[in-house]
Amino acid sequence: MSTIVKISNLDKYFGRLHVLKNVSLEVAEREVVCLIGRSGSGKSTLLRCINFLEEPSHGSIEVDGLHVNSGEKGRAHRQLVHDVRLKTGMVFQEFNLFPHMSVLENVIEGPVTVKGMDRQQAIELAEHNLDSVGLLFKKDEYPNRLSGGQKQRVAIARALTMEPRVMLFDEPTSALDPELIGEVLNVMKKVAKDGMTMLVVTHEMGFAREVADRVIVMADGELIEDGKPEQIFNEPKDPRTEALIVRYRTGSG
Amino acid sequence: MSAFGTENKGEVKSQGDLLFEAQQRQKQRFNRNVGASWGIFFLIIVYFFSGQNFLGIKTIELNTEFIINNMGFIAKGLPQTLLVSVLAITLAMILALLAALGRLSTFPPLYALSTFYVSLIRGTPLYLQIFFFFLALPQLGIVLTGLLAGVLALGLNYGAYMSEIFRAGLASVGKGQIEAAAALGMTPWQTMRRVVLPQALRFAIPPVGNEFIAMTKDSALVSATGFVQEIMWRATRVGRAQFNNLEALIMAAVFYWVMTLILTYVQSIIEARLSKGDR
Ligand SMILES: Nc1ncnc2c1ncn2[C@@H]1O[C@H](COP(=O)(O)OP(=O)(O)O)[C@@H](O)[C@H]1O
Ligand SMILES: [Mg+2]
Repeated sequence: MSTIVKISNLDKYFGRLHVLKNVSLEVAEREVVCLIGRSGSGKSTLLRCINFLEEPSHGSIEVDGLHVNSGEKGRAHRQLVHDVRLKTGMVFQEFNLFPHMSVLENVIEGPVTVKGMDRQQAIELAEHNLDSVGLLFKKDEYPNRLSGGQKQRVAIARALTMEPRVMLFDEPTSALDPELIGEVLNVMKKVAKDGMTMLVVTHEMGFAREVADRVIVMADGELIEDGKPEQIFNEPKDPRTEALIVRYRTGSG
Repeated sequence: MSAFGTENKGEVKSQGDLLFEAQQRQKQRFNRNVGASWGIFFLIIVYFFSGQNFLGIKTIELNTEFIINNMGFIAKGLPQTLLVSVLAITLAMILALLAALGRLSTFPPLYALSTFYVSLIRGTPLYLQIFFFFLALPQLGIVLTGLLAGVLALGLNYGAYMSEIFRAGLASVGKGQIEAAAALGMTPWQTMRRVVLPQALRFAIPPVGNEFIAMTKDSALVSATGFVQEIMWRATRVGRAQFNNLEALIMAAVFYWVMTLILTYVQSIIEARLSKGDR
């Protein structure tokens, strides 16, 4: 299987704060990788470096064969970043739907504006994806009329409609009321089953156990453990992993 | 508002309902009294200018013939006032938006241009700016019509003050919106055009409405150039010519006031519609 995401020797500083420390990571096609770790360990930053919402300080990123070195500037670099963003879909904790656009407009915005796709074709694709997240009947609503769970499902449909090679999820259920988490996780399971490559930052251990091919544990800007879910959850090697899992189990994570 | 009144019909009213109704009644009574007081003030003013002699107090007598004869002449200034204001607010919105964008620029000359413009305009009187365009520029060989000078001066002036409105509008669009657009692959320009500006402009509509209403009155200053035949120009012209300044200015005041009342009402409708849809 081919590698879709390859992160090599990545460092990220925020001012003097060393947030990512020589991180390397590969994600294979169709793989679902869950990233867990305490708050502030650098999970979001790592995810955001992949599509250059954060510019890495050192190291390189490769997405579906596109190799981008950090620290470069200029047109060619910007074009490369743009191309990487076309290959990555991102789902945010806070949904970030466009409030001035209807659900359907939100979903076709990327294909039409960015890819220059024919509007009718974009609508067909969008409706297909809205249907698969179960929200086709809400296509003419505005985001402020949706529940949090519905918003996040629309956000997933919006990202999918760009037909990315990999989907990045940054705590997609952390802003939701507990009773709405399930519907979003179910949609994510479906996306995984359809063969999407996924990198998911989450505190949902049930989801990680059930869906992930691999679980990676982060602490203080480093990847401290990487393995199958059963191994990570049942026989953690690093005491910090163990502490983390105990915290989740006691519900104080 | 109807949820309280209708759903509980026929049922025993709770203490909360009773309290709420008492509050509503109190509010209604207050509003009624305010309305009645307005009416009384209005009557007092009308009486004050009625020319009647009452209880030994001689009130002011207005020349009704002059008023009737010149009403039409002054009224013709209304479209001119609105024309100046509409053109100037359009210019002001463009300048304000550019100034607000300049304040976001990381390119020093652009940032400086924006702050320079705002500082210069805010640091000088509007009256001076109007004369500058009309009287000072001809010395440099630039002769503007009264209308153009007025529109430029008002537009530049209001643009500087309104840049804050657009700055707030742009700031109201969260970082998450910009990141979501970037993650979709939008360029900074696409992000601005498709995501940030539509939200910022919607945010700016109510305050821009306020500025427009203020401008319809500041446009009176343009009459000073002597070449824009708006309400104020007409009022001072007939007032001076026939030595009926009192009547002329009162007529102008009524025109401005009624216009403001109407515009304020229109604005409240627009605002209500915006807040309801929130789309
Ligand atoms: N834009 C930023 N500027 C400065 N510090 C930041 C910024 N974003 C994140 N950080 C810091 O980087 C560290 C890692 O943050 P983050 O990647 O958000 O962690 P996580 O997602 O694991 O909670 C934290 O200490 C956080 O305060
Ligand atoms: Mg995070």
